Amino acid sequence: MWKKPWHIKEGFLIGGGLILLGLLLQVTVGPVDWSFFAWPMNLLVLLLLLVLIGGAYALRQKCYVIEWMMHSGAAVPCLAYAALLTILMGLLPQVQGGGVRWLSQMLQFWPFAIIWTWMMIISALAALNHFLRWKVREIPFLLNHLGVVIAIVSATLGNADTQTLELTAYKGEPEWRAFDENRMMHEPGLAIELHNFIMETYPDNTPKRFASDISVYTEDGKDIRATVEVNKPLKVNGWKIYQYSYDVRLGADSPYSVFELVRDPWITWVYLGIFMMLLGAVCLMLFMAPKPVKV
Amino acid sequence: MSWDSFIWFALSAVSFWVAGALFAWKDRKTGAFMCTLAGIAIFFAFILGMWISMERPPLRTMGETRLWYSFFVPVAGIIVYSRWHYKWILSFSTLLSIVFICVNLLKPEIHSKNLMPALQSPWFAPHVIVYMFSYALLGAATVMALYMLIRKEKTTVKEILITDNLVYVGLAFLTFGMLFGALWAKEAWGTYWTWDPKETWAAATWLCYLVYLHLRKASPKDWQSACYVLIISFICLQICWWGINYLPSARGISVHTY
Repeated sequence: MWKKPWHIKEGFLIGGGLILLGLLLQVTVGPVDWSFFAWPMNLLVLLLLLVLIGGAYALRQKCYVIEWMMHSGAAVPCLAYAALLTILMGLLPQVQGGGVRWLSQMLQFWPFAIIWTWMMIISALAALNHFLRWKVREIPFLLNHLGVVIAIVSATLGNADTQTLELTAYKGEPEWRAFDENRMMHEPGLAIELHNFIMETYPDNTPKRFASDISVYTEDGKDIRATVEVNKPLKVNGWKIYQYSYDVRLGADSPYSVFELVRDPWITWVYLGIFMMLLGAVCLMLFMAPKPVKV
Repeated sequence: MSWDSFIWFALSAVSFWVAGALFAWKDRKTGAFMCTLAGIAIFFAFILGMWISMERPPLRTMGETRLWYSFFVPVAGIIVYSRWHYKWILSFSTLLSIVFICVNLLKPEIHSKNLMPALQSPWFAPHVIVYMFSYALLGAATVMALYMLIRKEKTTVKEILITDNLVYVGLAFLTFGMLFGALWAKEAWGTYWTWDPKETWAAATWLCYLVYLHLRKASPKDWQSACYVLIISFICLQICWWGINYLPSARGISVHTY
């Protein structure tokens, strides 16, 4: 143990140490508060993370632990801890609200956050290492490791900037007030007027399609007529408008339609990461799988 | 096409698959290919018929996902066979397919034509179909792992390589399924990931298979530990697919209840 080169065992001990650190934080500062990462804090944290990773890479020959972090031996225990915590999250009912929750509020559990951060740092370092030794055959590795880091880091840091509002529009009355989950009022800078609520049902009266024929008026003078329905949102001025609900008692005669307005400024980065992971998965089966031996 | 005719399509497809498996044992490759492919074609004709008569892709209920699984297992079998000429793989895929066909005959769970609005999306079919294909490949990898653990020292390099390949391709499809789901969720609900119980288990499963991949790189000689990881991963996968319906932590919460 601790004799160089380090391998998987050392990783399990380091991961165990990180989990202890997480438990210490959980006891002292309480659960992770993700709203802390709201703009511009997330940008600051991102820059800090980039400097940290760049600096660590520069010091890799001076500091053995960094050299080790770039190998698959370090990835195994980290992934195993992440899998274990995620399995626990799947087994234990997850609850909302205050009180001492620990494992039943896994997303706010420090050890969970720290292990995932550790995973992102390891993956980013490995990607950087492969990137700087640029060769065409490194592309699949790069797509997978950088893709997952871009997707997860921007999803996590961007989460606090995501705005989700509910807007209820009655027929013929333009509505510009929307409400967040705490029933606080917001003005998203656009108004929705419902012209017609469309509802089709199957013979047994279960819903087949519900849609809203609407006009959207924006502060900068746009006037857009469109039909919004489930799986077919409308994009206006950085907002995505989703068909959310209607008066379920009245069905087709519903006098109003409820929309969900979502703004997610980091989504482009998440999509970039997802796109890289999809290409990476194609590479995984075409180029990365061990070659068959001749029989 | 109605569900009543399933038994006849299933019987004829299974007869061809059994014949194909027997040909493979006798090392008669042409026969093995022809028979297995014929069985696959018959089974697919049934799925297609159901699709047309139900006016929606048959992917909504648990029974319908099993239908695709019984179809993809022989497909995965014939791919492995064509690449590795592994004698018993077709017998295994036939057996596994029969198990799922029997479950479907005893517990059809095929519902009406209705497809709720959230499921009416171009993402629906690719999301479920790539997942079922991935489950079939990873199922085959699990059987390889069990086979290798039982035979211990007799395990050959070729067997380890087959297992690795099944996992690489299976994991690629698992990733497609998960990311297609995320892209679809963004279009349907405005969020790509909500840690819904099904998503949590999908993440756990994905991480477990990543442990396998990295473990194989880090300690290539320790294939036995890797085999145990594969078995644990497959248990997670089963919980994600259907076990979740019996977990108290997921009941009534998941949007993936079917």
